[in-house]
Amino acid sequence: MSSQQEDGDTHVNVADGIDHQVAMVMDLNKCIGCQTCTIACKSLWTEDGGSEYMYWNNVETKPGEGYPRGWEDSGGGWQSEDHSERQPGEIPSQEDYGRPWEFNHSEIMYEGSDEPLRPREGAEWGPNWDEDQGAGEYPNSYYFYLPRICNHCTHPSCVEACPRSAIYKREEDGIVLVDQDRCRGYRYCVEGCPYKKVYYNTVSKKSEKCIFCYPRIEGEGPEGETFAPACAEECPPQLRLVGFLDDEDGPIYKLVEEYEVALPLHPEFRTQPNVYYIPPYAPPQHTEDGETVDVERIPRQYLRELFGDRVDDALDTIKREKQRARQGDDSELMELLQHKNPAKQYRLEVFEDG
Amino acid sequence: MADRDHRRTVLAAAAVTLLVTLSAVAAPMASARPAHEIPVSPATGDLGEPTADGWDDVPAATVALASAPSSVPNADQTSVERVHVQAARGDGRLYLRLQWQDATRDVSADDPREFADSVAVQFPVNASSRPPIAMGGPDNRVNVWYWSPPTGTEELLAGGAGSTTSFPESSVNASAVHRGSGANATWTVVYTRELDAAGENRTTVPETRDLDVAFAVWNGSNGERSGQKAVSEWHYFPFSGGPEGPPYQALLWSVAGVAIVGVVAVTAFGVHRARGGMR
Ligand code: SF4
Ligand code: SF4
Repeated sequence: MSSQQEDGDTHVNVADGIDHQVAMVMDLNKCIGCQTCTIACKSLWTEDGGSEYMYWNNVETKPGEGYPRGWEDSGGGWQSEDHSERQPGEIPSQEDYGRPWEFNHSEIMYEGSDEPLRPREGAEWGPNWDEDQGAGEYPNSYYFYLPRICNHCTHPSCVEACPRSAIYKREEDGIVLVDQDRCRGYRYCVEGCPYKKVYYNTVSKKSEKCIFCYPRIEGEGPEGETFAPACAEECPPQLRLVGFLDDEDGPIYKLVEEYEVALPLHPEFRTQPNVYYIPPYAPPQHTEDGETVDVERIPRQYLRELFGDRVDDALDTIKREKQRARQGDDSELMELLQHKNPAKQYRLEVFEDG
Repeated sequence: MADRDHRRTVLAAAAVTLLVTLSAVAAPMASARPAHEIPVSPATGDLGEPTADGWDDVPAATVALASAPSSVPNADQTSVERVHVQAARGDGRLYLRLQWQDATRDVSADDPREFADSVAVQFPVNASSRPPIAMGGPDNRVNVWYWSPPTGTEELLAGGAGSTTSFPESSVNASAVHRGSGANATWTVVYTRELDAAGENRTTVPETRDLDVAFAVWNGSNGERSGQKAVSEWHYFPFSGGPEGPPYQALLWSVAGVAIVGVVAVTAFGVHRARGGMR
């Protein structure tokens, strides 16, 4: 259960026993699907044996099957708002994650083959297999990119699923971590996470997941500097805000709690994610002749399925504020969404002395 | 009508006689010991490997298994119903052989959905008191000799469900084979440990006191792991009676068996006569 903190610091819901809650806001309108975040994460954390197939950060095309394929229908999460009963879940198959492929590099580079460069075999599915496919008919097809990491949920069903308490939510900042010494590879956390953001390492036989780059935010860089998670820092359009949900002076608090335009993905899983998304506001549909018609390109119902019913108000608010800004009025919200100053984007040291 | 009655009586009497005779004869061989006792033979001959000849001369106890009570999903779905246990002591070592039927040889956990077969033997850390069966308790801990193909042998310490911790070094050796196919496919695992393997929190095999022991088996391809396991109740090795077990028991059972057979035979004969006389 979450509690309202009563020390006067904040009225944000953070989990019981947690001092502060890290959070991230991603503006989906800025994502270009370049996968720089994916590679930044992979080269830092998941290059060792047994983790080849893992993407702690992945970027998937929506509408689409996602990574692992069909994760939205794989179960997990909670049955009701009181977080007493978990929803049963499944472990995705290796095929649904996609296997790391071998390519015919040596044939082409060293043996003079003039075949096209391609995977040797087994390339029938993988992350981003359906990239840019989307949905809808020309000229009104549509898609957008959805970057995903572990949500470091307030009610993490992965934590509850572990019979050994090997996966836990740490006290100082609510980051959810797998204790590699306690994990025995039972994979109840993999089943239990509705976002399928815990992965089983096939070599170490233990589970692993996004650690919110905690050594970076703890200032363990070579010069003792503090860095935001690599997926955020490396993002070319800088679409990720990183900070604490309960930092009331920060942009995350404003976007999530005040303007309510940053929304969790699939709130119906009831884990209360701490990664929030500014929903995509695509241009309206147009006719074959290029004339704009007053029909939304991304069906609103689809966005409700992803972000819940609050997406309606969020999009209304954004539209209204955009209009204000266009008319030359001040709009704090539009300023927040257009911020390019990393110092304000990453507020990680606010609670350091507290 | 009367003829049918007569035949039924004769059949019934014959069946009872047969049953009693069988149980009387069988009793001294297989269950001439209290329930939950697992006989321990002197270790003679070669017992180091699952298929070693020495095991032919070591009596086996059949231990019933049932799904462990647990909060993990599908805890009641386990597939192994019994394990045959043989034990021997000698040369300063304890030898245990466990055999159970498992049609699938699940030896790898290399895929996100793969779980390996596993087996475990549980002892109290302190042989003088019996811990809670489910992984012991905080004040009454258990040692577990765990074996699974991908990880090999592990010696574990537990003080309640979810508290399992590995010893840095295992003092237990195990080796295993899976033989046969289909319904006859069987795992055979042999554990050995030095009787006086010293170490904190490590069960000492007692000389003159019974030692409690319990068993657990997991079938990997059924998704069994953690609390989803087939487990036994507490059994014991009768070390208090010396290595051979109390011989007078077998004698008592034989005498009782013969007496019962005699009484039943006489009774059946009498019933038969009485019925026949009424015809
Ligand atoms: S996203 Fe999944 S793995 Fe991450 S905290 Fe939530 S339930 Fe756990
Ligand atoms: S780096 Fe940024 S823009 Fe590129 S895919 Fe990741 S989130 Fe999107």
